[in-house]
Amino acid sequence: MRNDDLDRILSQQEEILPSSGFASSVMEAVAREAAVPPPIPFPWKRALPGLSAAGLALMAVLTGSLLLLENGAASQPLPPEWLSALTSLLQASKTLGAYWIAMALLLSLASVKLSTHFASGHGSPFERG
Amino acid sequence: MSAADDQAAVEKVLAGDIAAFEGLVRRWQGPLVNLAYRFCRDRGRAEELAQEAFLRAYRSLDRWRREAAFSTWLFALATNLYCSELRRIPARIVTLDDIAEPSDPRAIDGGLEQADQDRAVRRAVLALPAKYRETLILFYFHDMDISTTARSLSIPEGTVKARLSRGREMLRSKFTQQSLAPLMSKEAQ
Repeated sequence: MRNDDLDRILSQQEEILPSSGFASSVMEAVAREAAVPPPIPFPWKRALPGLSAAGLALMAVLTGSLLLLENGAASQPLPPEWLSALTSLLQASKTLGAYWIAMALLLSLASVKLSTHFASGHGSPFERG
Repeated sequence: MSAADDQAAVEKVLAGDIAAFEGLVRRWQGPLVNLAYRFCRDRGRAEELAQEAFLRAYRSLDRWRREAAFSTWLFALATNLYCSELRRIPARIVTLDDIAEPSDPRAIDGGLEQADQDRAVRRAVLALPAKYRETLILFYFHDMDISTTARSLSIPEGTVKARLSRGREMLRSKFTQQSLAPLMSKEAQ
């Protein structure tokens, strides 16, 4: 079998006509899609101060740790004021149930991410794997 | 309807006139359903795939950059969807080894009805590994235009040529084996 034969066979394929209701069915699906309200965007403006503060705090902790390491103070016990601050922080987090709050926040974040993922079609059965 | 009409319809849809999308659906439903049909050989599934392709197009109309024709963008989107969907749930096909063996030893050279042979070759395309199958289907769908095929698959033209060559070679070897096998078994007797 030559390329010409293959070209002839594979070029002449049967054509099908879409069924009569196909366009209407597509338009119905499009109308349903259009009726769905757009996803609520993440409130970056409101979250920005909190995120910046958290970023700055993280930077401060890292810088402080590096400075401590550089000064060879890593093996020394923490200064008493640091220890008392840490203890009160832990105590407060216990009182408030911070672990549960953190876990709930993580779970909420995961479920929001998952539902956004599905809603945007990435998890739909027709999405590219 | 021309490319300019397509663009005008897209602008209307983006401005909020959903009904304008129907013009695009009516214009491109035939090609999109037929392309899907070549991938799966199942009319019902072809329409489902084409409908999903239109929905995807509707959702991402604002991502169509006007440098390429609307049809090029639409075909690339549909091709992407069809390929991924058929890799996920393959069409009901037989393996290359199971493609119709002619009952008559002279079959390929003349005994087998031409139409049967043509059907067997088309079925054999569906049994090829995905990358060769997709390239062959698109190449013949786009009237043997290599650059359109490359754009639809988002791969370089050289890769299209290489895959076409390998895919055809696999088909040729399949049908050469079929035509020779009965003769060789006769000689052995």
